[in-house]
Amino acid sequence: MRLVLDANEYIFALGFFRKVSSESLLNFLIDNFSSHSICICRTIVEEVRANLTPNELPNFIKFINIFTTIEEDFFIPFEIGVRYETKGLKEADALIAAFTEWVGADVLVTENRHFLNRHPDLPFKILTAEECLKLI
Amino acid sequence: MKNKKAEAKKLWDELRDSVSKRPSPFAGMTEEEVIKHLRKTRKKVWEKKLAART
Repeated sequence: MRLVLDANEYIFALGFFRKVSSESLLNFLIDNFSSHSICICRTIVEEVRANLTPNELPNFIKFINIFTTIEEDFFIPFEIGVRYETKGLKEADALIAAFTEWVGADVLVTENRHFLNRHPDLPFKILTAEECLKLI
Repeated sequence: MKNKKAEAKKLWDELRDSVSKRPSPFAGMTEEEVIKHLRKTRKKVWEKKLAART
């Protein structure tokens, strides 16, 4: 299964705020390294980075690079982002949704309720870490 | 593959350990408040990107 983890999942899983389901999901993905693929874009990295110290950042980048390649935002087709904006998402949220569609991910994992307001016609599922753990 | 998994685990554990040893920027917040804070961070990152393009 191909997954996009929103920045809040990394933040919760790192223990900035205790959330067992996010921690369990990251641990599961590490333990089942070859079973699932994780995609991440520059914006998500920047959001996590905003909470890391300069000493922690290299480890996070190394960690991500083991799983995947960081995709630059400018590769994400503009028209897909616009489509999500017209669905009511804010610009930056629309970018994450567009990225999820563009990489062909099955699931966007997020605790952000703005994403969790379900849109019926999305090409991917939007799940919380807890829901994602049940699915995978 | 096994080495990569072990390396990922090591890096992740080191990161978590480092984070646990300093005050959380979200101390005293509820989950909802943390999400709200992260949305503000997303907005700032977005605005910075836009500013860099113009």
